[in-house]
Amino acid sequence: MDELELLKGHWKQTENKHKAFSTKDLTNMLHKKSSSIVKTLFYISIAELAFWVILNFIPFVSPDYEAKIRSAFGSEAIYTTISVFTFGIVFLFIYLLYKSYKNISTTDSTKVLMQNILKTRKIVKYYVIYNLTAILLTIPFSLSFSIKSNPRLASSIEGFSNTQLLISILTVVAIVGVVLGFFWLFYKLLYGILLKQLNHNYKELKKLEV
Amino acid sequence: MDSTYKVEFVALLEKHQNIVHKVCRLYTNNYDAHNDLFQEITIQLWKAFPKFRGEAKFSTWMYRIGLNTAITLYRKSKRRIATQEFDAVEFRISAEEYDDTEEQQLKLLYQAVHQLNDIDKALVFLYLEEKNYTEISETLGITEVNARVKMNRVKTKLRNILNP
Repeated sequence: MDELELLKGHWKQTENKHKAFSTKDLTNMLHKKSSSIVKTLFYISIAELAFWVILNFIPFVSPDYEAKIRSAFGSEAIYTTISVFTFGIVFLFIYLLYKSYKNISTTDSTKVLMQNILKTRKIVKYYVIYNLTAILLTIPFSLSFSIKSNPRLASSIEGFSNTQLLISILTVVAIVGVVLGFFWLFYKLLYGILLKQLNHNYKELKKLEV
Repeated sequence: MDSTYKVEFVALLEKHQNIVHKVCRLYTNNYDAHNDLFQEITIQLWKAFPKFRGEAKFSTWMYRIGLNTAITLYRKSKRRIATQEFDAVEFRISAEEYDDTEEQQLKLLYQAVHQLNDIDKALVFLYLEEKNYTEISETLGITEVNARVKMNRVKTKLRNILNP
């Protein structure tokens, strides 16, 4: 006899092993909080978005700081373009995230549901990559500005020997590397833990298509 | 939310709650975890209920959301997967019903099913619930051919466990 047929026969007979929940039990359950990964992912993405938005908009809170940034750009047009671009990117990501969350539905097939969750996670990932890249690109620019605007720093750098200059550059590169590496590791760990099971199951599902 | 609407939902859920229990039975190993998953599935069903138009049977709709929650949305904690109480308690069969060999075989089968990965478990579950391959493939989002091929592999796997 087919093993599964044996199991099927028994499966039917063992129905209702668990105590059935009453109407009251079930109604109470509706008021409990969900602990699904989609909800956790949602909170994490909101926190991330907020973190980077705050970081991006700190200059606008302090007029002094903003004036400094403005002068660092040298040209009003460049400053305005970059500000509009930054705002635009933030709104774009908010829109993409919103759309992506709306797409997550438990009534889809398992595969589509998994794909939609992974797509949402990817949007957050791209946002983080964008911000880390922006930081990376800003560093040489802000370094040269600090040197230019600080004559003492400029003159001491001029007096550097080649070795000293090399050490300074390497130190900056190492610090930037560590900071960016830290961020990257943090995200890898965060999403790695959260989506471990999902990634594993998605791979299993994909394997069926080979 | 409208209270009539809520009453309607709870009545439907109460009537078909066995489906959710069966999903929980397959994907958890102990009483607490069973109840945790049951609650999460209930919340997901309730959240999706406004989209339920009644074209699909409520029970069919429950299979999909139940499995999706168990496979994709539910986070298993270490506490939940640490114990292995299921086979001894949940699936004990009385001696009058089966002879020793069959009981032993069933025990081994349930253990084997519990060891399958989440996707294979879903396939077996839908099969045990007498769903046809079209429904299985639609629920999981794979082709019918792949569902059949995979099901045969699972059968072989189970056979090998029983007859090493």
